[in-house]
Amino acid sequence: MSFGSPYTTLPDFEYHKPANLDEVLGLLKEYGDEAKLMGGGVGLIAFMKERLMSPAHVIDVKEVKELKQVTRSSGKGLRIGAAVTLSELLEGGALKEEYAVLQEAIARVADPMIRRRATLVGNLCEAIPWVDSPPALMALDAAVDIAGPGGERKVPVESFIRGPVDIDLGPSEMVTAVEIPQAKGTDSAFEKFTGGSEFSLASVAVVLSKEGKNRRAKVVYGAVNSTPIRSEEVEAAIRDGLTPGSARKAAEIATEKVECVDDVLATAAYRKHLLRVVTTKVLRRMMSR
Amino acid sequence: MREIAVKVNGTERRRSIKDNELLLDFLRERLEVRSVKAACWRGECGLCTLLLNGHLVKSCLVLAVEADGGEVKTVEGITEDGELAPVQKAFVSHGAAQCGFCTPAWVLATHELLKANPHPSDAELVEATSGLVCRCGTYNQIREAVAEVAEAKQRHSKETLPRV
Repeated sequence: MSFGSPYTTLPDFEYHKPANLDEVLGLLKEYGDEAKLMGGGVGLIAFMKERLMSPAHVIDVKEVKELKQVTRSSGKGLRIGAAVTLSELLEGGALKEEYAVLQEAIARVADPMIRRRATLVGNLCEAIPWVDSPPALMALDAAVDIAGPGGERKVPVESFIRGPVDIDLGPSEMVTAVEIPQAKGTDSAFEKFTGGSEFSLASVAVVLSKEGKNRRAKVVYGAVNSTPIRSEEVEAAIRDGLTPGSARKAAEIATEKVECVDDVLATAAYRKHLLRVVTTKVLRRMMSR
Repeated sequence: MREIAVKVNGTERRRSIKDNELLLDFLRERLEVRSVKAACWRGECGLCTLLLNGHLVKSCLVLAVEADGGEVKTVEGITEDGELAPVQKAFVSHGAAQCGFCTPAWVLATHELLKANPHPSDAELVEATSGLVCRCGTYNQIREAVAEVAEAKQRHSKETLPRV
């Protein structure tokens, strides 16, 4: 990815605005890998300007009713449609408390204008390493619902994101929603370090049951490697509860064990240092609640 | 090419456009509304900000065809009967511009903020305008201008409190 070249135009394409989900799937079946779906367009338009994507057909799904729904069902958790924007999620209140980690992650994505256009599913499908919502969704054991010519399937976010800008999605398939299981009885939080730019250099998402020994614990780091990465070793350090001692140990393990990459934004060594910082910050904040 | 109709600052405008045209180019090149600035082209600086169907958007990240049948408002649309809006007057009196290139976007964004939240705290102002850049760094003057309008609103609302 170059991100910086001076393209100011978009490649030629034909714009489609289907009225419902059946029409979307029909267009996808017809055009296959010549088509790209557009939610908020924030990612797609940027990719097209860079000529990283030059689809012949752009299918605008932002007003497709079936994709605009946020549904909460008892025992099943939360289902967020593909066209639901980040602002709608923040303002709708569905994430508060139970899904604090996701609320905190998306509240600090870009700026309010971008959040009003960008969608959660768009964040996932971009699969850009420094985007903040995928680590939060992974920590919550979320999965995506995929529809296509071969029927429907459900894939955990963890395996859906295969690499940078690489997702488990066929040419005529689409993600219709993201499903987040119940997280009642857990405490969760998100922390990131950006160094003042809009790109995270290291982020962490933590979900931890409130009571007992050997708790449900999930810790996922973002922006330090080509995909969000889970650390079972850090999870083990906090599984029996959060204390100043266990938090210190967790931060130590994070900086030692989690693999980081060198890139244009930061060195691996700096990211290693930041892992200690964000782990300490997030766990301290959880302890003080 | 396809024809689209967009209400811009209250007037319906029709133009033929290409599907891959940005809303930014539609405004600047087809309608010659030049207060909408082209600067970073990647949604980072916010100088192409305008209101699309009542919401602030960065028009370099919106297709022109998306605005078909909709309503666009730019800084020209916030004056009433030829009189500057309060925030515009405050920008003038506080010198909240150096080169002035970003001023239309800031005026529009702070005008909208003050409409939704008449007394924004500094933190709320920073958050609401975090998508905008002033390359000359007139942030302090902008903050003072916004504070003046907020105070004036407070004075006004106190003065008009019903007597009991």
